[in-house]
Amino acid sequence: MREKIKEQIDLLKAKGAHYVDARWYPREDSNFLFMWNGNLKENNASSQSGMGVRVLYNGAWGFSASSDLTNPNAIFDRAFDNARIAAERVTFPIRLAEKEAITGSFTSPNQVDPFTVGLDQKVAFLQKMDAALNQTGVIQRFGMLEFVRKQIIFLDSEGSEIEKNIIEVFASIHAVGIDKDGGMQRRKYSPGRTGPTRGWESINETDFLANAERIVSELNQVLVAEDAPNGKMSVILLNGIMFLQTHETIGHALELDRILGYELSFAGGSFVRLEDFGKLRYGSEKLTARANALEPNSPGSFGFDDDGVPAQDNLLIDKGILVGAITGRQMVEEANAKAKKQIFEGSSGANRATSFYRVPIERMTNINIDPGTDGSLEDIIANTKYGVVLDGDKSWSIGSNREQFHFACDIGWLVEDGQKKQVVKNPTYRGETLPFYNSLSAVGDESTWNVHYVENCGKGAPNQIMQLGHGVPVCRFDNVQVGE
Amino acid sequence: MSNQVIDLLQRLRQTALNKGLQALITYHEEDSYLMRFANSAISLNTNEHLISLDYIAFDGRKKVSYSMIADPTDFESMEKGLDILAEMLPHAQALSYDPTFPVYAKDVLDERAFDPALAALTNEERLAYFNTLAGSLESDDVKLSGIFSNGTTTTAQISTANEHVQYFRSTDAQVTAVLSSESLKWEVNAEQSAQKKSDLDAEGLHADLALLVKHYQEDEAVQLPVGKYTVVLGPAATAELGNIMTYYGMTGGALMQGYSFLKEEDQGKLLFSEKIHLVDDPREVEIYAQNADRFGLERKPFPLISEGRFQAFMWDQDSADEFGKTPTGHDVSHTSLVMDGGEKSVASLKDLLEMDRDEDILYVPYIHYMNVVNPTQGMVTGSSR
Repeated sequence: MREKIKEQIDLLKAKGAHYVDARWYPREDSNFLFMWNGNLKENNASSQSGMGVRVLYNGAWGFSASSDLTNPNAIFDRAFDNARIAAERVTFPIRLAEKEAITGSFTSPNQVDPFTVGLDQKVAFLQKMDAALNQTGVIQRFGMLEFVRKQIIFLDSEGSEIEKNIIEVFASIHAVGIDKDGGMQRRKYSPGRTGPTRGWESINETDFLANAERIVSELNQVLVAEDAPNGKMSVILLNGIMFLQTHETIGHALELDRILGYELSFAGGSFVRLEDFGKLRYGSEKLTARANALEPNSPGSFGFDDDGVPAQDNLLIDKGILVGAITGRQMVEEANAKAKKQIFEGSSGANRATSFYRVPIERMTNINIDPGTDGSLEDIIANTKYGVVLDGDKSWSIGSNREQFHFACDIGWLVEDGQKKQVVKNPTYRGETLPFYNSLSAVGDESTWNVHYVENCGKGAPNQIMQLGHGVPVCRFDNVQVGE
Repeated sequence: MSNQVIDLLQRLRQTALNKGLQALITYHEEDSYLMRFANSAISLNTNEHLISLDYIAFDGRKKVSYSMIADPTDFESMEKGLDILAEMLPHAQALSYDPTFPVYAKDVLDERAFDPALAALTNEERLAYFNTLAGSLESDDVKLSGIFSNGTTTTAQISTANEHVQYFRSTDAQVTAVLSSESLKWEVNAEQSAQKKSDLDAEGLHADLALLVKHYQEDEAVQLPVGKYTVVLGPAATAELGNIMTYYGMTGGALMQGYSFLKEEDQGKLLFSEKIHLVDDPREVEIYAQNADRFGLERKPFPLISEGRFQAFMWDQDSADEFGKTPTGHDVSHTSLVMDGGEKSVASLKDLLEMDRDEDILYVPYIHYMNVVNPTQGMVTGSSR
């Protein structure tokens, strides 16, 4: 197949294509198990294979994909025809940032391929979790296991040839109860990075059982708790909500395709302008954020993006100042040309597609906040006059340009005079992105930092779901509107 | 086309029977096209032709499933999928209730929502549509973004119980257009959906956009303080809100799992404005009409709210099996929600602007990023562009 692909790439180049690439998925397997109140509601295996072809012709993209590989030439021809039509309405001819021709490979770190583990063992794990969650106060309990294994062969007209073998493992447990006022409450546990590898060995039963006990205990405290207070106060965000705050208001806001208006008709734009890079005070000096696709063992680390650019670790926000974006080869060229100066030196290697039948777009890698110097969680609480500690991503609504947000959390703890007090329920907070990050007053140290996995980030038209990570510490923000 | 699909399903059924499987086999085919615009150019022109097969095997209370994106010429791989299903089944855990195995009483062939003209729409026609809707509205400062997507969806089902087949084919198109001013930092949207080619109306969309652009360019911008306002929701915003509220509030599964803001005893009670009349009406070909659900139950108009009174919960088969209820034909990918019009004729934004009013109102055409803060209270958040 590789030789056939190379032949077709050469053929389209001879027809006038400026650039051609193909992503061939010989096989992608997934396995999803979902147990609800002891019933194995989903026990699904799936597979897919196919090819997606991208053609750049006269400054415009054409793409085509099919699972029918008996005649791959047809996919290339269709992509070329699509590009020819697209070239009839071009305002800024697409150019691609330079890259070296690369021959390489990437394999996700894992010890035990989860597809070699028997179904009995996976079901037994969920049964144990179900039993652990089946306690007083819990009216609904569920556990999920999801495994993905895919092989991707990338070839382009610049001579790159890359093979990726990726394994993803996602697991979570959830407990739901009804509070004293009749409201639904929940706690969940979804492990972040627990070790250097992510095969079946990362499903740590002891860790899950301990966390099952914790979330049931916390849920029962929420069920009898009073509502969180309303008003302006400090919020101390634990990993379980700080990851989402980072995701929605730093990650998405700094995707260069959004900044350049390529997502306006679906996901939205960004309040960030090209002239902001190097100048905009995004947050306080305590805020340093980076896109680190070299983070060991995370779905946001993939070796090479779908432009064939090697993974990188790049600063996005340096001590509060905006310095970088999440970029692919196309967007950096357009941004530099529109800004009439070189903002970006090259692609940051973040152009990814969810499958062979979707075109790559700018996606988050591991969008991390560097740990700070304000000590442990306990230290931060001890230095807080009045506020709430928040955890759990219950609900979120974000402005289409990421300029404002509203989050609801699963649980809160009141903090008064440096003391962590009682649990409060239904905590929400809202804010505007720049004032919020400029109110960042404390950033936890390494002891508070962990990589949190995201399995379902949606973006793009047609829609794409992507997996990624966020390494975040505990952070405190002051004068935040809580409640409402 | 339907004959090829039905033949394939019959072959797969026979293979499943030969392997001793009691199975439901679903064929799903999408032939879709998408032209995406950004910064007044076509930023992507793409098409996908994907065929997927979903198998579900039953053995008493055990149930497993296998899905594959299939090469339509590779029957061997499709058979292997059934082998995998057979390997999985013994390892499944028995449910605490009896899952219903679908037995189709008759053949169903429903192509009411299929329009050959829309299915055959060309790249040139998609481009011409966008050129018309943009008209003279673009400038160095005002840029066009958007998508034009259309396609054909084919779904067909067979079970090993007998040779009856359910076959559904439909077409649809969705257009979203955004004009944005870089200097004034505004965006205006307009959307159009179509089930058949003759529904497409580029001039109409152009008129909507032109009106919005005129106001955004000529009227003074106002920063509204936080507070309570009278709000008019446009059709798209109303549909979005209705969709999320029915999903969380009016399904039997949500009720039994404690997610619903409604209770069983709420059926028949006046809980909403008497102006609201909401029906799941599968007769409406424009909104995913399908005259039978996945389990072969006939889909009929299903009143949800009548003059403000909540009528009944929708029960999919699995929830009905688990909680001992009667399924209502709601094992479908999409409901077909229809909200009746009221006493005022407001066919366009222009009509709305020209209506008499004694206070300023907020018009919200679309709700972006709606999410559920508290399902048991029916509390949602969202933002408008």
